[in-house]
Amino acid sequence: MAQDRNDNVATCLASPTDLSRRRLLAGLLTAYTASLIPWALAQPAPHAYRGAFTALSAILVGRRALDAAQSSRLYNALAATHPHFPADVHALLVLISQRQIDPLNLQQVLDAEQSALAPLPRLIVTAWALGVVGSGEGARCVAYESALDAVIVADVLKPPTYAYGTYGSWTLKPR
Amino acid sequence: MSVQLSADIVVIGSGIVGALAARRLAQQGASVLILEAGPRLERARVLAAFRNSPIKGNWMAPYPPSRWAPHPIYVPKDNGYLKQAGPYPYPAEYIRAVGGTTWHWAAMAWRLVPNDVRIKSLYGVGVDWPLSYDELDPWYQEAEKLLGVAGADNTGSPRKQPFPMEPVAEPWSMRRFRERLAPAYPVVANTVARNSRGYDGRPACVGNNSCQPICPVNAQYLGINAVEAAEAAGAKVVPDAVVYRIEHEAKGRIAAVHYYSPDRAEHRVTGKTFILAANGIESPKLLLLSASDTYPTGLANSSGMVGRNLMDHPSTSLTFYADEELWLGRGPQSPSSINTLRDGPFRSQHAPYRLDFTNISQVLSVTSDLIKEGVYGAEFEKQLRWRAARQVSVKNVLEVLPNRDNRITLSSEKDAMGIPKPEAHYAIDDYTRRGAEVSKADFTRIAELMGGTGLRFSADGQYANNQHITGTMSMGNDPTTSVVDAFGRTHDHENLFICSTGVMPTAATMNSTLTAVALALRTAEHILPAKDAHATASHRGREGNLA
Repeated sequence: MAQDRNDNVATCLASPTDLSRRRLLAGLLTAYTASLIPWALAQPAPHAYRGAFTALSAILVGRRALDAAQSSRLYNALAATHPHFPADVHALLVLISQRQIDPLNLQQVLDAEQSALAPLPRLIVTAWALGVVGSGEGARCVAYESALDAVIVADVLKPPTYAYGTYGSWTLKPR
Repeated sequence: MSVQLSADIVVIGSGIVGALAARRLAQQGASVLILEAGPRLERARVLAAFRNSPIKGNWMAPYPPSRWAPHPIYVPKDNGYLKQAGPYPYPAEYIRAVGGTTWHWAAMAWRLVPNDVRIKSLYGVGVDWPLSYDELDPWYQEAEKLLGVAGADNTGSPRKQPFPMEPVAEPWSMRRFRERLAPAYPVVANTVARNSRGYDGRPACVGNNSCQPICPVNAQYLGINAVEAAEAAGAKVVPDAVVYRIEHEAKGRIAAVHYYSPDRAEHRVTGKTFILAANGIESPKLLLLSASDTYPTGLANSSGMVGRNLMDHPSTSLTFYADEELWLGRGPQSPSSINTLRDGPFRSQHAPYRLDFTNISQVLSVTSDLIKEGVYGAEFEKQLRWRAARQVSVKNVLEVLPNRDNRITLSSEKDAMGIPKPEAHYAIDDYTRRGAEVSKADFTRIAELMGGTGLRFSADGQYANNQHITGTMSMGNDPTTSVVDAFGRTHDHENLFICSTGVMPTAATMNSTLTAVALALRTAEHILPAKDAHATASHRGREGNLA
């Protein structure tokens, strides 16, 4: 199955122009998913797989903007670690689009249906939020200061090992 | 035998305890050689290893064990070094490297309370120490000066001289705990080896919130600082020297120690006086390994107590959401405690405890929870911020009583050098369990006072370990029930001393490092007195081992 999906995506990428890439991404989205990530269609997608990955990532982590370089790095790491990753990303994006699944209910839906895609959201969110790809002894860190868990709280906290501020600056009420 | 080394004093182990004993002896003019099984580490590399680690919640990750001097690792997978005989697991963590385990401690430099050393007399439990709190006081003071300890006088541990430094500035989160828990619970600043001002060439804390696994800026005193101080005083450190046998003469004096270099070449080191300071697990392991025809159960073990009375500080905890934004993670990790439950008549019935508030950033924890729960979309960021701002936890630090069945023995399994691995036999008794049960009422009350919601108690019967390895080479006046005397000298070998948390006869409720350093300084004074010695009492029985 996964191999089939992969082939489909590969076919879609036969014409590597910006326009066709954007059309591809547009084709994966419906009005519903487009409403979750309205910016996605306006962004250049230098590579269709990556475009789909960025779009799905944005839906999962609920961010309006994702760093392109970080997206590329995470995509490479995840694709290298998980077989059929591009096809699975494509399939999950299509699933969310067509069935208009609320991201908050997504895991529950995938688990209830025992979907082969059920592990995918956690892999992607772990990569973005914790900067970690892989698990157990195969886990590796691909981001720290730029991982979303650091970025989301950056107005209040520094990532551990980075100085908070001058001595005693932590006595003040956080703003 | 590729190398022959010799020194007046040979110290086995380069942790904070052994290194500060070594420093003091070197300052008195002795030649001092420190043998360390593990490699020399660099702070910058440890820091980089943490930042690059995929398991940032595991503070051993930046300290991978060497092949020749392994230490226990449990995440992502148990490396099988510390064997578990049960019935309760004892997953101790420690670091075999120059500087030892305080590379990644929380720098809590607590004194005991005076009654901790008399619990048998006062409460009918445990054992009494062979010395009083008053006798310890000047050694605590010396230790506090060396480590650069910041603290306040309201922690329950009396003192005759002021702290070297004011307490470290209180994080906002801890201020709110202090304000909201008063008067039910007095929340006090922890006594810590962390600079509240520039001290001894090291800077004040700047709140990196990574005290564990590594202070990046040298504001927190580490074992490596102690090693560097010992070297500055003239001590020599030999890293990668895995001592596997202590050799004795016919009449029991220690003649030499033998170590392997990583290539398994054998080396012999002679000396006049030997100090075993390789922590509460590796030290008894080495004594047991050194059995001979004359001492078939191991050295210093005529009492049969080597490795026994293993203690630590188990913890249970409560995690909850406060009703205001506290944002743990601003400032140092371990700022505040409640100390009023460390002592009282209840000690005849159940374990005393310290209540400890963490200020460790909750971001990693709540993010991991959200991923586990499958919270995606806009709610992910919203929940992450809400939880990271409000999630707090409190844990107890419970006393464990000495029990001869809790012990370290030699495993039948061997490490890569062919040396038997240590094996832990451990159980948590009803005294400690009752203490944990009683503390639940405190947890609940604290949560109420903080407007807590989403209360999550640690699972019943599950105890986290605190890596305060204590008791395995207990001190005492009776050679039939203890391993060393009140000065750390082994009862069986006149020139073999032990400097370690392992000599503490009871564990009390406080992190054990400062007490072990104080005892080690007292041992060093006993071996070779300084001109400005503190306490005449400590000179009693000195025999001038270097004379």
